[in-house]
Amino acid sequence: MTNQPETLHYAVSVVGKDRTGIVAGIAEVLFRLGCNIADSSCTMLAGEFAMILIVSHPRPFSKTKLHDELKSVCDTLGMSLAVRTLHADEVVRKETSDEICMISVYGADQPGIVYRVTRELAALGVNIMDLNTKLIGTPEEPVYVMMLEAAIPEGQTPEGLEALLGNLKKELSVEIGVRIITPVAF
Amino acid sequence: MPNQPILRYPHPVLKKVCNRVVRIDATIQSLVDDLLDTMHAGPGSVGVAAPQIGVSLRVCVVDVSNSRHGRDNHHGQLCMINPEIVARDGLAVMREGCMSVPDYTGDVERATAITVRFSEPDGSPREIEASGFEAVAIQHEMDHLDGILFLDRIMSIKTGLFRRKSYA
Repeated sequence: MTNQPETLHYAVSVVGKDRTGIVAGIAEVLFRLGCNIADSSCTMLAGEFAMILIVSHPRPFSKTKLHDELKSVCDTLGMSLAVRTLHADEVVRKETSDEICMISVYGADQPGIVYRVTRELAALGVNIMDLNTKLIGTPEEPVYVMMLEAAIPEGQTPEGLEALLGNLKKELSVEIGVRIITPVAF
Repeated sequence: MPNQPILRYPHPVLKKVCNRVVRIDATIQSLVDDLLDTMHAGPGSVGVAAPQIGVSLRVCVVDVSNSRHGRDNHHGQLCMINPEIVARDGLAVMREGCMSVPDYTGDVERATAITVRFSEPDGSPREIEASGFEAVAIQHEMDHLDGILFLDRIMSIKTGLFRRKSYA
Protein backbone atom coordinates (compact mmCIF):
# COMPACT_ATOMS: atom_id res chain seq x y z
CA MET A 1 0.00 0.00 0.00
CA THR A 2 1.36 3.39 -0.88
CA ASN A 3 1.72 5.95 1.84
CA GLN A 4 -0.77 8.69 1.05
CA PRO A 5 0.24 12.07 2.43
CA GLU A 6 -2.36 13.95 4.43
CA THR A 7 -1.78 17.17 2.54
CA LEU A 8 -1.89 17.78 -1.17
CA HIS A 9 0.36 20.36 -2.79
CA TYR A 10 0.01 22.22 -6.05
CA ALA A 11 2.25 24.56 -7.98
CA VAL A 12 0.19 27.46 -9.30
CA SER A 13 1.47 30.07 -11.71
CA VAL A 14 -0.43 33.09 -12.90
CA VAL A 15 0.93 35.63 -15.39
CA GLY A 16 -0.66 38.57 -17.08
CA LYS A 17 -0.75 42.30 -17.64
CA ASP A 18 -0.33 44.13 -14.37
CA ARG A 19 -3.32 45.81 -12.73
CA THR A 20 -4.57 46.25 -9.20
CA GLY A 21 -6.43 43.39 -7.58
CA ILE A 22 -4.64 40.41 -9.13
CA VAL A 23 -3.24 39.09 -5.85
CA ALA A 24 -6.50 39.77 -4.02
CA GLY A 25 -8.47 37.97 -6.75
CA ILE A 26 -6.29 34.86 -6.61
CA ALA A 27 -6.04 34.92 -2.82
CA GLU A 28 -9.83 35.16 -2.50
CA VAL A 29 -10.30 31.92 -4.44
CA LEU A 30 -7.64 30.14 -2.42
CA PHE A 31 -9.11 31.39 0.86
CA ARG A 32 -12.62 30.36 -0.14
CA LEU A 33 -11.43 26.86 -1.07
CA GLY A 34 -9.54 26.51 2.21
CA CYS A 35 -6.15 26.41 0.52
CA ASN A 36 -2.97 27.40 2.27
CA ILE A 37 -0.36 29.49 0.43
CA ALA A 38 2.80 27.76 1.63
CA ASP A 39 5.52 29.51 -0.38
CA SER A 40 5.06 32.17 -2.98
CA SER A 41 6.95 34.65 -5.06
CA CYS A 42 5.23 37.34 -7.06
CA THR A 43 6.86 40.10 -9.01
CA MET A 44 6.44 42.55 -11.80
CA LEU A 45 8.41 41.78 -14.94
CA ALA A 46 8.18 44.60 -17.45
CA GLY A 47 4.44 45.33 -17.40
CA GLU A 48 3.52 41.75 -16.52
CA PHE A 49 2.68 40.56 -13.05
CA ALA A 50 3.87 37.02 -12.38
CA MET A 51 2.79 34.87 -9.45
CA ILE A 52 4.23 31.51 -8.49
CA LEU A 53 2.62 29.84 -5.49
CA ILE A 54 2.93 26.52 -3.72
CA VAL A 55 -0.56 25.84 -2.45
CA SER A 56 -1.61 23.12 -0.04
CA HIS A 57 -4.92 21.60 1.03
CA PRO A 58 -5.75 18.62 3.25
CA ARG A 59 -7.21 15.53 1.61
CA PRO A 60 -9.70 15.15 0.09
CA PHE A 61 -9.47 17.91 -2.46
CA SER A 62 -10.10 18.24 -6.14
CA LYS A 63 -7.47 19.70 -8.43
CA THR A 64 -10.16 20.23 -11.02
CA LYS A 65 -12.10 22.43 -8.63
CA LEU A 66 -8.97 24.43 -7.79
CA HIS A 67 -8.17 24.85 -11.47
CA ASP A 68 -11.71 25.78 -12.50
CA GLU A 69 -12.18 28.35 -9.75
CA LEU A 70 -8.80 29.94 -10.48
CA LYS A 71 -9.47 29.84 -14.21
CA SER A 72 -12.65 31.77 -13.73
CA VAL A 73 -10.93 34.62 -11.88
CA CYS A 74 -7.93 34.52 -14.25
CA ASP A 75 -10.24 34.92 -17.24
CA THR A 76 -11.81 37.95 -15.60
CA LEU A 77 -8.37 39.43 -14.86
CA GLY A 78 -6.91 38.48 -18.23
CA MET A 79 -4.24 36.22 -16.75
CA SER A 80 -2.83 32.90 -17.90
CA LEU A 81 -2.94 30.01 -15.45
CA ALA A 82 -1.10 26.76 -14.83
CA VAL A 83 -1.77 24.31 -11.99
CA ARG A 84 0.40 21.28 -11.36
CA THR A 85 0.04 18.63 -8.66
CA LEU A 86 3.24 18.14 -6.68
CA HIS A 87 4.24 14.69 -5.54
CA ALA A 88 4.93 14.23 -1.85
CA ASP A 89 8.65 13.77 -2.45
CA GLU A 90 8.77 17.10 -4.28
CA VAL A 91 7.51 18.97 -1.24
CA VAL A 92 10.58 19.06 0.92
CA ARG A 93 12.35 21.99 2.45
CA LYS A 94 15.90 21.70 1.27
CA GLU A 95 18.43 22.17 4.01
CA THR A 96 21.82 23.20 2.79
CA SER A 97 25.06 23.73 4.59
CA ASP A 98 26.59 25.02 1.38
CA GLU A 99 27.89 28.53 1.11
CA ILE A 100 25.35 30.84 -0.50
CA CYS A 101 26.73 33.37 -2.95
CA MET A 102 25.46 36.34 -4.84
CA ILE A 103 26.84 36.20 -8.35
CA SER A 104 26.49 39.45 -10.22
CA VAL A 105 26.96 39.58 -13.96
CA TYR A 106 26.58 42.74 -15.99
CA GLY A 107 27.78 44.22 -19.22
CA ALA A 108 26.83 45.37 -22.70
CA ASP A 109 23.76 43.43 -23.78
CA GLN A 110 24.41 40.53 -26.12
CA PRO A 111 22.78 37.20 -26.86
CA GLY A 112 23.71 34.31 -24.62
CA ILE A 113 24.73 35.92 -21.34
CA VAL A 114 22.27 33.88 -19.27
CA TYR A 115 22.97 30.70 -21.20
CA ARG A 116 26.75 30.92 -21.10
CA VAL A 117 26.97 31.84 -17.44
CA THR A 118 24.42 29.32 -16.20
CA ARG A 119 25.90 26.55 -18.36
CA GLU A 120 29.26 27.21 -16.75
CA LEU A 121 27.73 27.23 -13.28
CA ALA A 122 25.87 23.97 -13.90
CA ALA A 123 29.09 22.34 -15.05
CA LEU A 124 30.75 23.49 -11.82
CA GLY A 125 27.97 21.98 -9.72
CA VAL A 126 26.63 25.34 -8.61
CA ASN A 127 22.90 25.23 -7.84
CA ILE A 128 20.92 28.38 -8.68
CA MET A 129 18.36 29.29 -6.02
CA ASP A 130 17.24 32.65 -7.29
CA LEU A 131 17.78 34.48 -10.54
CA ASN A 132 16.85 37.97 -11.62
CA THR A 133 17.73 39.58 -14.90
CA LYS A 134 17.06 43.07 -16.09
CA LEU A 135 17.71 44.99 -19.26
CA ILE A 136 18.79 48.51 -18.34
CA GLY A 137 20.65 51.38 -19.95
CA THR A 138 19.54 53.15 -23.09
CA PRO A 139 18.32 51.75 -26.41
CA GLU A 140 21.67 52.84 -27.90
CA GLU A 141 23.69 51.25 -25.12
CA PRO A 142 21.66 48.47 -23.55
CA VAL A 143 23.17 46.90 -20.46
CA TYR A 144 22.24 43.48 -19.18
CA VAL A 145 22.22 42.81 -15.44
CA MET A 146 21.89 39.35 -13.96
CA MET A 147 21.82 38.62 -10.25
CA LEU A 148 22.02 35.03 -9.11
CA GLU A 149 21.80 33.51 -5.68
CA ALA A 150 23.47 30.15 -5.71
CA ALA A 151 24.74 27.41 -3.44
CA ILE A 152 28.34 26.58 -4.21
CA PRO A 153 29.58 23.05 -3.65
CA GLU A 154 31.65 22.19 -0.62
CA GLY A 155 35.31 22.97 -1.09
CA GLN A 156 34.61 25.83 -3.51
CA THR A 157 35.27 29.41 -2.53
CA PRO A 158 33.81 32.61 -4.00
CA GLU A 159 37.30 33.60 -5.13
CA GLY A 160 37.81 30.19 -6.72
CA LEU A 161 34.48 30.41 -8.48
CA GLU A 162 35.21 33.91 -9.69
CA ALA A 163 38.54 32.71 -11.07
CA LEU A 164 36.84 29.79 -12.82
CA LEU A 165 34.45 32.26 -14.46
CA GLY A 166 37.38 34.45 -15.51
CA ASN A 167 37.60 33.14 -19.09
CA LEU A 168 33.91 33.68 -19.66
CA LYS A 169 34.22 37.17 -18.25
CA LYS A 170 36.90 37.99 -20.82
CA GLU A 171 35.11 36.30 -23.68
CA LEU A 172 31.80 38.09 -23.08
CA SER A 173 33.39 41.33 -21.84
CA VAL A 174 31.11 41.37 -18.82
CA GLU A 175 31.75 41.96 -15.14
CA ILE A 176 31.33 38.90 -12.95
CA GLY A 177 31.51 39.18 -9.18
CA VAL A 178 30.98 36.52 -6.55
CA ARG A 179 30.41 37.29 -2.89
CA ILE A 180 29.20 35.33 0.09
CA ILE A 181 25.71 36.10 1.34
CA THR A 182 25.24 33.02 3.50
CA PRO A 183 22.80 34.12 6.20
CA VAL A 184 24.13 34.53 9.70
CA ALA A 185 21.83 33.05 12.34
CA PHE A 186 21.49 34.78 15.67
CA MET B 1 19.34 25.93 35.46
CA PRO B 2 20.76 24.43 32.29
CA ASN B 3 20.17 25.74 28.82
CA GLN B 4 16.62 26.82 28.07
CA PRO B 5 14.52 26.22 24.98
CA ILE B 6 14.54 29.17 22.59
CA LEU B 7 11.06 30.63 22.28
CA ARG B 8 9.77 31.17 18.79
CA TYR B 9 7.53 33.81 17.37
CA PRO B 10 4.51 34.19 17.86
CA HIS B 11 5.33 33.84 21.57
CA PRO B 12 4.15 37.24 22.88
CA VAL B 13 7.23 37.88 25.03
CA LEU B 14 9.27 38.32 21.84
CA LYS B 15 7.29 41.44 20.88
CA LYS B 16 7.39 43.11 24.30
CA VAL B 17 9.70 45.92 25.35
CA CYS B 18 11.75 44.42 28.18
CA ASN B 19 12.05 46.01 31.61
CA ARG B 20 15.28 47.53 32.84
CA VAL B 21 17.15 45.57 35.46
CA VAL B 22 16.81 47.62 38.65
CA ARG B 23 19.12 45.64 40.88
CA ILE B 24 21.81 43.21 39.80
CA ASP B 25 21.46 40.33 42.23
CA ALA B 26 21.77 36.55 42.25
CA THR B 27 18.61 36.21 40.13
CA ILE B 28 20.18 38.28 37.39
CA GLN B 29 23.46 36.42 37.66
CA SER B 30 21.62 33.12 37.29
CA LEU B 31 19.71 34.55 34.30
CA VAL B 32 23.07 35.41 32.71
CA ASP B 33 24.25 31.83 33.35
CA ASP B 34 21.11 30.47 31.69
CA LEU B 35 21.64 32.73 28.70
CA LEU B 36 25.27 31.61 28.40
CA ASP B 37 24.30 27.92 28.70
CA THR B 38 21.60 28.42 26.08
CA MET B 39 24.02 30.20 23.75
CA HIS B 40 26.63 27.47 24.14
CA ALA B 41 24.02 24.77 23.55
CA GLY B 42 22.88 26.23 20.23
CA PRO B 43 25.18 25.09 17.45
CA GLY B 44 26.95 28.15 16.11
CA SER B 45 24.92 30.49 18.29
CA VAL B 46 26.61 33.85 18.81
CA GLY B 47 24.06 35.45 21.11
CA VAL B 48 20.87 35.08 23.12
CA ALA B 49 18.60 37.72 24.61
CA ALA B 50 16.57 37.19 27.80
CA PRO B 51 13.14 37.36 26.10
CA GLN B 52 14.20 34.47 23.86
CA ILE B 53 14.12 32.27 26.98
CA GLY B 54 10.97 33.91 28.30
CA VAL B 55 12.40 36.60 30.60
CA SER B 56 11.33 40.15 29.78
CA LEU B 57 14.43 41.88 31.15
CA ARG B 58 17.11 43.93 29.41
CA VAL B 59 19.83 41.30 29.50
CA CYS B 60 21.66 39.62 26.62
CA VAL B 61 24.83 37.69 25.94
CA VAL B 62 27.01 37.80 22.83
CA ASP B 63 30.11 35.86 21.88
CA VAL B 64 31.32 35.90 18.30
CA SER B 65 34.83 34.66 19.08
CA ASN B 66 34.10 31.16 17.75
CA SER B 67 32.35 32.38 14.64
CA ARG B 68 34.29 32.58 11.40
CA HIS B 69 32.78 36.03 10.84
CA GLY B 70 33.86 37.39 14.19
CA ARG B 71 36.91 35.52 15.37
CA ASP B 72 39.38 38.18 14.28
CA ASN B 73 37.57 41.12 15.83
CA HIS B 74 35.74 40.65 19.13
CA HIS B 75 35.57 41.26 22.86
CA GLY B 76 35.12 37.62 23.80
CA GLN B 77 32.13 36.72 25.89
CA LEU B 78 29.91 39.72 26.59
CA CYS B 79 27.23 39.63 29.29
CA MET B 80 25.27 42.84 28.95
CA ILE B 81 22.78 44.17 31.46
CA ASN B 82 20.75 47.26 30.47
CA PRO B 83 22.87 47.78 27.34
CA GLU B 84 22.60 51.10 25.53
CA ILE B 85 24.09 52.12 22.22
CA VAL B 86 25.59 55.56 22.77
CA ALA B 87 27.19 56.00 19.35
CA ARG B 88 26.89 54.37 15.98
CA ASP B 89 28.73 54.71 12.71
CA GLY B 90 28.48 53.35 9.18
CA LEU B 91 25.84 51.15 7.62
CA ALA B 92 26.13 47.73 6.04
CA VAL B 93 23.70 45.06 4.94
CA MET B 94 23.95 41.49 6.13
CA ARG B 95 21.58 38.60 5.56
CA GLU B 96 20.29 37.60 8.97
CA GLY B 97 18.34 34.76 10.46
CA CYS B 98 17.16 34.21 14.01
CA MET B 99 16.58 31.14 16.19
CA SER B 100 13.22 32.65 17.21
CA VAL B 101 12.10 32.92 13.56
CA PRO B 102 13.33 29.71 11.96
CA ASP B 103 13.47 29.01 8.23
CA TYR B 104 13.50 32.63 7.16
CA THR B 105 16.27 35.06 6.35
CA GLY B 106 16.45 38.57 5.03
CA ASP B 107 18.78 41.47 4.35
CA VAL B 108 19.06 43.84 7.29
CA GLU B 109 20.95 47.12 7.41
CA ARG B 110 22.83 47.88 10.62
CA ALA B 111 25.55 50.16 11.91
CA THR B 112 29.05 48.83 11.23
CA ALA B 113 30.49 50.25 14.44
CA ILE B 114 28.82 50.96 17.78
CA THR B 115 29.73 52.13 21.24
CA VAL B 116 27.77 50.19 23.84
CA ARG B 117 27.43 50.98 27.51
CA PHE B 118 26.17 48.31 29.88
CA SER B 119 26.58 46.74 33.31
CA GLU B 120 28.53 43.57 33.90
CA PRO B 121 26.99 40.75 35.98
CA ASP B 122 29.09 41.97 38.93
CA GLY B 123 27.44 45.37 38.60
CA SER B 124 30.42 47.25 37.23
CA PRO B 125 29.84 49.61 34.31
CA ARG B 126 31.56 48.94 31.01
CA GLU B 127 31.77 50.62 27.65
CA ILE B 128 33.06 48.95 24.51
CA GLU B 129 33.51 49.87 20.89
CA ALA B 130 32.41 47.00 18.71
CA SER B 131 32.64 46.77 14.95
CA GLY B 132 31.96 44.36 12.13
CA PHE B 133 30.14 41.14 12.87
CA GLU B 134 30.26 41.65 16.63
CA ALA B 135 28.50 45.00 16.24
CA VAL B 136 25.79 43.37 14.12
CA ALA B 137 25.31 40.58 16.67
CA ILE B 138 24.99 43.07 19.53
CA GLN B 139 22.44 45.14 17.61
CA HIS B 140 20.43 42.02 16.75
CA GLU B 141 20.35 40.86 20.39
CA MET B 142 19.60 44.36 21.69
CA ASP B 143 16.66 44.61 19.28
CA HIS B 144 15.14 41.64 21.12
CA LEU B 145 15.12 43.78 24.28
CA ASP B 146 12.82 46.23 22.47
CA GLY B 147 10.55 43.55 21.02
CA ILE B 148 12.03 44.07 17.57
CA LEU B 149 12.66 41.05 15.36
CA PHE B 150 14.86 41.10 12.25
CA LEU B 151 11.60 40.76 10.32
CA ASP B 152 10.85 44.34 11.39
CA ARG B 153 14.06 45.52 9.73
CA ILE B 154 14.23 43.54 6.49
CA MET B 155 15.09 45.76 3.57
CA SER B 156 14.55 43.20 0.83
CA ILE B 157 14.06 39.49 0.66
CA LYS B 158 15.18 39.24 -2.92
CA THR B 159 17.42 41.17 -5.19
CA GLY B 160 15.53 44.25 -6.24
CA LEU B 161 17.06 46.10 -9.14
CA PHE B 162 15.17 49.07 -10.46
CA ARG B 163 11.86 47.60 -9.45
CA ARG B 164 10.24 50.99 -9.50
CA LYS B 165 11.01 51.74 -13.10
CA SER B 166 7.88 52.18 -15.15
CA TYR B 167 7.52 50.92 -18.66
CA ALA B 168 5.99 52.92 -21.44
